[in-house]
Amino acid sequence: MTTTSTLTDRYVDAILRHLPGRQRPDIEKELRASIADAVDDRLEAGSDPAEAELAALTELGDPARLAAGYADRPLHLIGPALYLDYTRLLATLLATIVPAVAAVVGLARGLQGATAPRLIGDPLGAALTAGAHIVLWTTLLFAIIERTAAPRRTPARPWTPAALPEPPSRRARYGELITQTVLLVLFTTLVLLSPAVSTETDAAGAPIGVLSPWLWETGIVYLFIALVIASLGFSFAKHYARWSVPLAVTGSLVLIACAITLIWLAVNDRVLNPAFVEAARWPQSVPRWIGTGLVVTSVGTLVHTVAEGIARARHR
Amino acid sequence: MLDDELLSTHLQELRRGTVVLACLLILKQPNYGYALLDLLGRRGFAVDANTLYPLLRRLEKQELLTSDWNTEESRPRKFYRTSDKGVALADTLSRGWDELDTAFRTLKGES
Repeated sequence: MTTTSTLTDRYVDAILRHLPGRQRPDIEKELRASIADAVDDRLEAGSDPAEAELAALTELGDPARLAAGYADRPLHLIGPALYLDYTRLLATLLATIVPAVAAVVGLARGLQGATAPRLIGDPLGAALTAGAHIVLWTTLLFAIIERTAAPRRTPARPWTPAALPEPPSRRARYGELITQTVLLVLFTTLVLLSPAVSTETDAAGAPIGVLSPWLWETGIVYLFIALVIASLGFSFAKHYARWSVPLAVTGSLVLIACAITLIWLAVNDRVLNPAFVEAARWPQSVPRWIGTGLVVTSVGTLVHTVAEGIARARHR
Repeated sequence: MLDDELLSTHLQELRRGTVVLACLLILKQPNYGYALLDLLGRRGFAVDANTLYPLLRRLEKQELLTSDWNTEESRPRKFYRTSDKGVALADTLSRGWDELDTAFRTLKGES
């Protein structure tokens, strides 16, 4: 055929590329028939074949837009249903984490007796990096929720009062979710910054991290942070998606894994950096008390997770 | 005078949703995409092809339309027809439209 048929092929291909596989054959057949009908109509009106095809495809418009229509995909990143939650969380995170990171880095640099440019530059750099991360990951999280758990325009089931959110109210629980996120981001940031930012330095002037270097050498620290982030993800899922047994069980398992990892680390004395304890001249009892504190907190989390899981399962 | 952009935005807002009712009513007689597009245009329900084609599939997914491939002619075409559920929805929407019409008339009569 002539180049004009290639144009339709390219148009149809561009649409199908954006569609799930099972929809493709049917949509392709129908779309080709529709385009052919539109071309024929124009040919009858007296235009030449190339012009007719060009006009028919132009009328159909951007293939990505048409494909989004077929796949019922949103043409926005974060829709009105989630937008307020998104801005609220983002604002809270930025307002708390960024100044906190800047303050911690500034304080550490100050205690190290850093020069004025570093005293100002390092906290600014850390604040910028933290801010960029917060914006990126929060936006990504909400874009994913928008595309997965958000209430669809065409609900699969009719709405019943049973679908009402659990007490306490959704707003109250959203506040909890924000607090949890803020604490988690703060915690992760501090853990990741800890090897580079410390009040103690060794003979060569390099900082001595407060946490055991063993955690980094073995990669346990990343595993732990991944677990903590996963547990936050489940908190979001619990908030936005319908409660379901697999979701609740997996969420609880992740939390339990977090707690057990922490207990294991504390019991085996793998949390604090011995070099730091020595440099800071801490008495021997301090690491012991920190270890005990971690174990107690972890056991508390374990008990709370299991109790809450049972309570919610009974409530259903 | 009203500027064109403002006018078209408001007209679009006003017409949103009427295409669904028009489709459900016209498709009591089975028809296929391009012919329906043409018919809607001639009956005063101007709609873009890239709005109509996905809409037909959405209505089919909602079980308001049923479809059949007609392969008797040289070009196979997907024919849509309003289902019983679709007819019921069309009746309800028509009543809604009539009520709105009455409400508007009353409103304009009073002023």
